[in-house]
Amino acid sequence: MVAAMELIDLKKTIGNKEIIKGLSFSIQKGEVFGFIGPNGAGKTTTIRMMVGLMSITDGDVRILGNSIKTDFSKAVREVGAIVENPEMYPFMTGWQNLMHYARMTPGITKERVKEVIHLVGLEKPIKEKVGRYSLGMRQRLGIAQALLHKPSVLILDEPTNGLDPAGIREIREYIRKIALEEHVAVIISSHLLSEIEQMCDRIGIIKNGELIAIQAVRENVEASNQEVALEQVQIEATPVDKAINLLRTNHEIEAVRNDNMISFRSSKEAIPKLIETLVKHQIAIYQVGVSKVTLEDKFFNLIGENTIE
Amino acid sequence: MSRFFKLVFNEQFKIYIRKSTWIMYIILAGLIIGNAALTNSFDEPNKYTDDNWREVLEEENKLLQQDNDTYTQEMKENDQEVTEDDSYLQFNMTEIEKNNYYLENDIQPHSYGAWQFVLDNAMLLSVVSLLTIIIAAGIVANEFRWGTIKLLLIRPISRSVVLLSKYVSVLLFALFTLIFVYVVSLLVGGVFFGFEGINPSIVIEKNSAFTDVSMVSEVFSAYGYSIVNLVMMTTFAFMISVVFRNSALAIGVAIFLMMSGNTIVAFFSDRDWAKYILFANTDLKQYASGTPWIEGMTLSFSITVLLVYYIIFMAISWIVFKKRDVAGH
Ligand SMILES: Nc1ncnc2c1ncn2[C@@H]1O[C@H](COP(=O)(O)OP(=O)(O)OP(=O)(O)O)[C@@H](O)[C@H]1O
Ligand SMILES: [Mg+2]
Repeated sequence: MVAAMELIDLKKTIGNKEIIKGLSFSIQKGEVFGFIGPNGAGKTTTIRMMVGLMSITDGDVRILGNSIKTDFSKAVREVGAIVENPEMYPFMTGWQNLMHYARMTPGITKERVKEVIHLVGLEKPIKEKVGRYSLGMRQRLGIAQALLHKPSVLILDEPTNGLDPAGIREIREYIRKIALEEHVAVIISSHLLSEIEQMCDRIGIIKNGELIAIQAVRENVEASNQEVALEQVQIEATPVDKAINLLRTNHEIEAVRNDNMISFRSSKEAIPKLIETLVKHQIAIYQVGVSKVTLEDKFFNLIGENTIE
Repeated sequence: MSRFFKLVFNEQFKIYIRKSTWIMYIILAGLIIGNAALTNSFDEPNKYTDDNWREVLEEENKLLQQDNDTYTQEMKENDQEVTEDDSYLQFNMTEIEKNNYYLENDIQPHSYGAWQFVLDNAMLLSVVSLLTIIIAAGIVANEFRWGTIKLLLIRPISRSVVLLSKYVSVLLFALFTLIFVYVVSLLVGGVFFGFEGINPSIVIEKNSAFTDVSMVSEVFSAYGYSIVNLVMMTTFAFMISVVFRNSALAIGVAIFLMMSGNTIVAFFSDRDWAKYILFANTDLKQYASGTPWIEGMTLSFSITVLLVYYIIFMAISWIVFKKRDVAGH
């Protein structure tokens, strides 16, 4: 099956600054792909090239096999997008805005326009001027606009930007619904992993114009990595120094001290053995906590905590 | 074709849904009505309608001649030279000659009416140019300002066609506005002064002789000649708007050039290249009535120069719009 969207060694140079340094990945229909990176990583630039707003310096973007460079109309016919903010004509109503874009692609009926309005739940304010819409309403209208022509790929650049937690939750809910009902490949960019992690099937992490990791979400961290599954273990124990020493000498574990807590990573199977060692050496244990290594932890490790807002 | 029609419809929709456009039309209508009221209070409308129109004309001539005589007298008393081509004398003499033409050819002059009013309102075409420039300056720049350009260019339509639909929309706006001025002038003129008839004739001076021509054709030629300037300045503003994505800049530069065009030509008129200045060529009327501004210019020369400018304006607009990376603001 041909990929909904495929990036082939995509590069962008502006002036003599290389902003995108060769991105390659593909996204299938029905998949929700999270495109994560800190500010200035190159998410928006990549998206602009995906939809033909920016010229491609090198490489290519294929949508259902059609190159956006050489087969623009055919390729872009299959794309719906919001790039950066969901900007609409403020002096027109929601309905007039949608009809405006509907006229630009052949075969969009009024019924289809009504259908997408229903899908994003904008029936009530659709006859009002967009200038009076809240940011959340404009986000929805932006998504409606992107879905009008039943695209195979839906690209949303920071759809959660500026939304309150309730708004973010709503977007999350109907993006999964859209991916399912409209059977599209969805690409969502964000600089906050936690905001979109739950609605994504896969996450691509971009930093300084380079893709530094691609990660499946649902199958859990351990399954996609061939390495042994690791758990985050926290133990409250005294004396702390002695406990850390014991772990290092007996189990080759580098634990970190935090007051009376020591934390480290370990496989689940090894935990009883570790505790046995500590107890044998007269360490007093008050509590033991075990938690999964989250994607967020992994993300922090990959790009460094400071670069995330 | 119907796709392109829909694009043009979209652009027209975006122009006419905005209040600022309607304010333009209200101002235009206000100017026309104000002009009619002003004309009404200065002219006595029905002076030639009675059977004694010949006497009225002769009386007018007598008064004009008297006026000229007193003027010459006064100037002499003040020890000032008066020549034949003194503009004050000339103006009255032209009126006298015109009246004589009516008398000799036994044509009853029309009283001031709607058609004459429409003809007088040809001067409003500079206001139409101004409004069209404002529309042309905004039609691309505003999409960038609103950020909607991004959604406009990710449709299965090439950028050239999107731009063409915008350019055609500007010209349509000019056409509609011209028709508006024309129709409103005719109606307002009709209400204030009455109609002269279906196709009245008017006596005008042509190549320093008088002839009578159809008023309607005179109206069309007056409007027609102004369209050259309108299209050129509009296309220029459109280009500036595409290149700099700034409507205020496009309006400012285009209007400044429109206002100062004649001055620019006059300033450089002794240079060889003065005849290649756009504004030396926009007034094609110079070939129909009288001599061209600069010696050696012909109608075909001007049309060639205009075409070259036009093609340059269009080429720059299209190339820049097609190549541009749409990013940020
Ligand atoms: N026109 C341009 N000229 C030069 N540099 C540019 C231009 N546009 C973007 N950049 C640079 O490219 C880099 C990537 O920008 P981009 O907007 O793609 O980042 P982003 O990942 O979308 O960030 P954010 O999370 O802030 O939206 C930035 O460092 C930016 O400074
Ligand atoms: Mg961005």
